[in-house]
Amino acid sequence: MADALVLTEADVILARARAGDVSALEQLYRAYEVPVYNLARRICRTVEDAEDVLQETFFEVFRSIHQYRGSGSLWGWVRTIAASKALMRLRRNKYRDADELDEEFHQPTATRSDGGLRMDLEAALERLPETSRAVVWLHDVEGYTHEEIASLMGKTVSFSKSQLARAHTRLRRWLGEETALA
Amino acid sequence: MTHLALDQLLRLREPGQEPGLAEAREHLAACPVCQAEAARLDQRSARLRALPALRPARSQWPVVRQQVEADRSRRRIRWAALAGVAIAAGVALVVLLRHAGRRSDTAELAIDSVMARSSQLEQVIQSYNPDARVTDGATALVAGQLEDRIAQVDRQLELAQVAEGRRRDPQVLQLWQQRVGLLDALVDVHLTRASQIGF
Repeated sequence: MADALVLTEADVILARARAGDVSALEQLYRAYEVPVYNLARRICRTVEDAEDVLQETFFEVFRSIHQYRGSGSLWGWVRTIAASKALMRLRRNKYRDADELDEEFHQPTATRSDGGLRMDLEAALERLPETSRAVVWLHDVEGYTHEEIASLMGKTVSFSKSQLARAHTRLRRWLGEETALA
Repeated sequence: MTHLALDQLLRLREPGQEPGLAEAREHLAACPVCQAEAARLDQRSARLRALPALRPARSQWPVVRQQVEADRSRRRIRWAALAGVAIAAGVALVVLLRHAGRRSDTAELAIDSVMARSSQLEQVIQSYNPDARVTDGATALVAGQLEDRIAQVDRQLELAQVAEGRRRDPQVLQLWQQRVGLLDALVDVHLTRASQIGF
């Protein structure tokens, strides 16, 4: 996602937010509410968890706003806090990885129309085990490297790579895209 | 002919040169089946990126705002307590230096008594430790308002006590009494809440 705030606007809002201006905090919230929620919802299993992550992320952003030095994009900073909170919630909830059962009993069907494929992709993504889903989302959509994902998850780079491969293997199968490849 | 596995295709998409991938790269360049699979992989990633953004059913801003304000309130009480202690210490020092050997008059006794009460109430609040507790929005709002007023009184006290010979000024005594009244109210707010939820 492109940064929702242009640089000059972000600088002014940040300065006001650091001075304790609540309306500036609200502007930051409004600018990043949807991308933060979307990231949280794609990683977390439930709407409630995603809402909690949304709240925790912005609370952390506002508490740490003095620590943001502007070395990277503001969205990049907010996003990393959101990803960290979402992954923390995954660990805390210790969801059961029901991947094998899901593969057997909840195979989404592939259709040819764009609308149908999109629905199927949503369903397939939703059915991935939490860890695989988090990795494929962070890597393919948010653009994190395996090194960054490993660091966020407290795992190795190989772990991140293998989870990405598992995710794509399942998505390919569930979307009916399997070929004769090994 | 052995085609590339999915994890090899994924590794080929990564930047840099992983060892052992040169052969895989050569194979990909020459194999239409693997090229088609790599294209499908890219398309799948592109479709993931094109999924519509999910939006929260309702704004979480009121909750976030409440949390931020409660946090600020907790920070303010910490600063107010520190400022109160600093003011009391400053006043005590001035008293020692300027009034050493003098007989305390009624005004002195009155202000000493009010300052002691102020200190006691601060200790009660500190021992209750509002920082370590979850505070509901209504309590946080009332507590925040009281803390703001305490901070205002502290600023007036600072200004009043900077001026020489103002310790026995009735206005200073009045400010200290006002401070004690506000602290009393703050203790009530916290303790009422604590008794309601069984702390």
